[in-house]
Amino acid sequence: MSKQNKIILVLVVIAIVIGGLYLANRYWIAPVTAARPQASSGKYPAAPDFSVTDIFGQKLNLADYRGKVVLLDFWATWCGPCRVEIPGFIQLQKEYGPQGFQIIGISMDDDVQPVREFYKQFGMNYPVAMGSDTKISELYGGIIGLPTTFLIGRDGRIYDKVPGAVDAERFATEIKTLLAASPGEAVKNFQPAGASGNIEVETPAEANSPVPGVDVSKLNKIELQRYKNQLSKQNCDCGCKFNVLQCRTNDPSCGVSRELAKSQLEKFQKLNPRI
Amino acid sequence: MLFKTRIKPVPSILRTALAVNSALLLTLVLLVRQGSAQTQPAIVQAHLTLVTPIVHAGSTIRASVTADIASGYHINDHHPSLDYLIPTDLKFTPIDGFTVASILYPKGKVEKLAFSDTELSVYEGKIEINAQLKVAPGTPPGEYTLRGKLEYQACNDHACFPPTGVPLVAKVKVVSRNS
Repeated sequence: MSKQNKIILVLVVIAIVIGGLYLANRYWIAPVTAARPQASSGKYPAAPDFSVTDIFGQKLNLADYRGKVVLLDFWATWCGPCRVEIPGFIQLQKEYGPQGFQIIGISMDDDVQPVREFYKQFGMNYPVAMGSDTKISELYGGIIGLPTTFLIGRDGRIYDKVPGAVDAERFATEIKTLLAASPGEAVKNFQPAGASGNIEVETPAEANSPVPGVDVSKLNKIELQRYKNQLSKQNCDCGCKFNVLQCRTNDPSCGVSRELAKSQLEKFQKLNPRI
Repeated sequence: MLFKTRIKPVPSILRTALAVNSALLLTLVLLVRQGSAQTQPAIVQAHLTLVTPIVHAGSTIRASVTADIASGYHINDHHPSLDYLIPTDLKFTPIDGFTVASILYPKGKVEKLAFSDTELSVYEGKIEINAQLKVAPGTPPGEYTLRGKLEYQACNDHACFPPTGVPLVAKVKVVSRNS
């Protein structure tokens, strides 16, 4: 091999590594690196942190809003019920923003352009980032139906998860309750002002797991394969007609298969005390 | 003025390395796409039926797609009432010797939904979409697999699901005029 060819080969290898690292960071690492471990999966789990770029190229870190009440809205421009909520959210931001309230929109559109146009057309007054190519929705338990809205207290915990469009008045009631707490203070006996969904969040290890939603980081390669074999032999009860492993892979938002997979992992760990 | 440029042949090592580079990046992108894929409950069940499953080359296949939309949900009309709505679309995968001649969508049901100020045209319940596919003259006899997809985006009164599609498949037999 000539000296020139060697140099070319080295340059190309460097390009491969840089390209690979960029893509891995862009899609896998960046959205979840800031995510802190969940303190507990109690009644009000800690809101998983994320670090993304908004639709106008500005950095958007959930951690920057610590101490504020945050409304996290997963939505899309093609979603009629989502669009109906936006004017109410703009009003809430105007009214409660000065008191320590912040809305963050996560658009599940595939393309950013219609989101930018919508943002300007509706005069949105809070940051919006794209969620379709990041892991944010998985960190928040998998977002399938839109809109899905999370209300985060000043202590960084999720107090309410609202699936579907509701009247802004419902959020106003809850926001006022949460704003009454001091920054960092938990709100005891928080009462949702309407029907709520199960709040399920994921740690980065769960969101990036080969069995989505289940932390298998303590299993070695062989144990992981055995555990996956067990899941593939167990039928899922959610009505999907898949086995548990297939359901986890195909529908990370399914709470039924997640519980079954977690329960199977516990049994597996008891039978394998090393883990 | 004409310039003659002598282009140096690209060294084989560089060609190989570039091919490996492209393959690695493509694999990475595909893995990323797969990793972020999520599915949703099957709101629409659809089947492709061929009214004429045995045809001659040069003739027309009449096909029908029947879709059952889960109760309480709707999908958008093929011609949605508002610009931002995602239309229901029947698409066939191109295959040599077969071309889509026409697709006839049903008329939507005009409804006033909770989230819209205006009435919207939507599909609910059971719908049928009819299509005609032209078999090119000279298509060799044999069995062919027609593949397609019914693309839709479903909502109920309070929430929507991301756009998705139901894969469709049917077999058609092309026979010679003499058989």
